[in-house]
Amino acid sequence: MIGRGWVRTVMKDLVRHWKHFAAAAVGIVLGVAALTFFLALSLQVRDLLLVQIFPADHLEVVPKSADINLFVLRLDLGRDTLDAAVLKDLAALDGVDAVYPKMRLTVPAVASGGSSIFGAGMQTEIVADGIDPQLVAEELKDAFHDVDTGSRGTPCSRGAQCGEDAYCDRAGGSGEGVCRPFVPVLVSPYVVELYNGAFRRAYNLPKLNPDALVGLTFEMTFGASTFRPAARAPIRERMRFVGVSDRAIPLGVTLPLGNVRHLNLVLDSPDAGERYHSAVIELRSKDAAPGVIDAVEAMGLEIRDRGARRAALAMAVIMVVLAIVGFVLIAVAAAHIMHVFYLVVMVRRREIGLLRAVGARRSDIRRLLMSEAAVVGIAAGLVGVAAGIAAGAIADVLAASRLPDFPFKPESFFDFSPWLLASVVALAVVACVLGALPPAIRAASGDPSEALAGR
Amino acid sequence: MIRLQNVRKRYPGAETDVLCGIDLTIDSHDFVSLVGRSGSGKTTLLNVIGGLDRAFEGEVRVAGHDLQALRDAEISDFRNLTVGFVFQAYHLLDHLTCRENVALAALFTRGESRRDASLVRSRADELLDAVGLQGAGARSPSTLSGGERQRIAIARALFNRPQILLCDEPTGNLDTETGREVVDLLSVLHREREMTIVAATHDEGIATAGVRVLHMRDGLLEVGDGSER
Ligand SMILES: Nc1ncnc2c1ncn2[C@@H]1O[C@H](COP(=O)(O)OP(=O)(O)OP(=O)(O)O)[C@@H](O)[C@H]1O
Ligand SMILES: [Mg+2]
Repeated sequence: MIGRGWVRTVMKDLVRHWKHFAAAAVGIVLGVAALTFFLALSLQVRDLLLVQIFPADHLEVVPKSADINLFVLRLDLGRDTLDAAVLKDLAALDGVDAVYPKMRLTVPAVASGGSSIFGAGMQTEIVADGIDPQLVAEELKDAFHDVDTGSRGTPCSRGAQCGEDAYCDRAGGSGEGVCRPFVPVLVSPYVVELYNGAFRRAYNLPKLNPDALVGLTFEMTFGASTFRPAARAPIRERMRFVGVSDRAIPLGVTLPLGNVRHLNLVLDSPDAGERYHSAVIELRSKDAAPGVIDAVEAMGLEIRDRGARRAALAMAVIMVVLAIVGFVLIAVAAAHIMHVFYLVVMVRRREIGLLRAVGARRSDIRRLLMSEAAVVGIAAGLVGVAAGIAAGAIADVLAASRLPDFPFKPESFFDFSPWLLASVVALAVVACVLGALPPAIRAASGDPSEALAGR
Repeated sequence: MIRLQNVRKRYPGAETDVLCGIDLTIDSHDFVSLVGRSGSGKTTLLNVIGGLDRAFEGEVRVAGHDLQALRDAEISDFRNLTVGFVFQAYHLLDHLTCRENVALAALFTRGESRRDASLVRSRADELLDAVGLQGAGARSPSTLSGGERQRIAIARALFNRPQILLCDEPTGNLDTETGREVVDLLSVLHREREMTIVAATHDEGIATAGVRVLHMRDGLLEVGDGSER
């Protein structure tokens, strides 16, 4: 039943009733245009948020429902950690260049010192974690690296004897000591902000310049607490600030990963040296972010971010709302198609009766009408998509000339991706065919004699 | 060829039957004229025989088919292949050419050979020839006279070489002279193509052209009429 004659019949019918069909298609055109415009807009904005405005070339992966590590000195080691196998899986994901695990210090620690700044020595419980020095290699060069605190250093009597990165440790007295390396420490900009903005005022302390922090030293006692007796002999190290980094723990101090692992092993348990509380993923490219995020979530892990995903989620919600609006528009348009087709089959009642009289099956009649509807859908879909793209182009021109420049202002606010356009056209076709279905069924029902008599 | 047994029909909402138990047998190659007053049920009977109207009771067998038992696809193919219809109102499609009108049945004929465009075209031209309208192939039926239109309609009915031709007042809209031409055409078809023809008519011309005349009155065929064999 598909032949040249058939196609010609459909086309002639369309030409013959073009006014009806044009009226029927108006709704579809508008719905498709709106859907194209808004979906392309939100696709582009979502892309912008995820890929450009937020630095999404790095992602931080945390176990699901892990506590944010604010003021928590001990982790529940039950399950809130990533183990080596998970890290391996993460590294194997498509689009992932490298995985840098972060390990939290699982024993309490007390920091003391600061008399050179504060006038008097301070002592405070402090949270610490360890990160792979590779992660900050670009920012801080060699300043941040694992140090070997275990081996016995050379004897000394003055700090100068030990070189730049070590000090002379004269534990307990003023006699002979040994050279021991400083453990490099990072803090996050947030810590500095918190200190300068709030903490400092409460204690009436001077304001800090983050750059001036570099080089300052202080002491940390690991495995010791001001309010709990230590189970094992605490370990004391001398720390030295080497910089401020976004990669550092938001509240607390960040040490080289190797040192934290060593401390956890010695002071906590062998296990504690193998559990990571999060991992930073380096993406091959920013564009890989959406795919990696999906894969990570499929693994039952979460992405910690700085609002990017919340923004993306908001975008997704907006997209869903727009899509629903578009669907409603198109559903209304489909109802309109239905009405027009009822009219068309009424006008063509005798003709359809004649076709039935010369041998058209009910299915032939249905197919004829639905082919016509499909052609209307394709045409309306294409016109609608073209209208949507045109509206987008106009909006872009207006944005370029009227909107002030802002960071990440894109050349185009629309992402008219081919799959979007194709699916919108497909939707138009589906809407038209579904809309024409009830009239087509009605037209094909009944005996030809009734239709021929005009009843 | 055609056998009706106790066929009854009542239109929905009507108080009396249109067909009140019709028994009828028509042999192959018969040319039957169906005469009767307006409203006596001639059109209804033709529709029943041609499978255009299946809302009846009783048994109708046409060319070996029990019409009530056929599914939609089968009765459609029956209308496509076995019977040809000629209507009083022509029912030509003005948006198609005469040739396309004649070949309309080809659109719904299953099977590869029937879809061959050049075969369809030459068959249509051959029929236009046969009804004396060889030049009208590319014209629209709306440009033709009534008699010409009815001849196009007859050509259309003949497209798939049906065994049976059902004509519902084929000359009803034509003047006597033009009607005569159409009747002659039917006679030729009957003689030369050995078709079975049933023609409902008020037209004496057709009635006498038929070898057998059936009188309908009030939904019944009158028996004992002189022309009944
Ligand atoms: N669809 C219908 N619904 C109700 N009644 C109908 C319908 N079609 C026909 N009738 C009635 O059935 C009777 C027979 O109609 P039919 O058309 O068969 O008569 P006819 O013999 O062909 O008449 P005519 O010579 O005027 O064409 C008439 O009384 C008519 O009013
Ligand atoms: Mg009639």
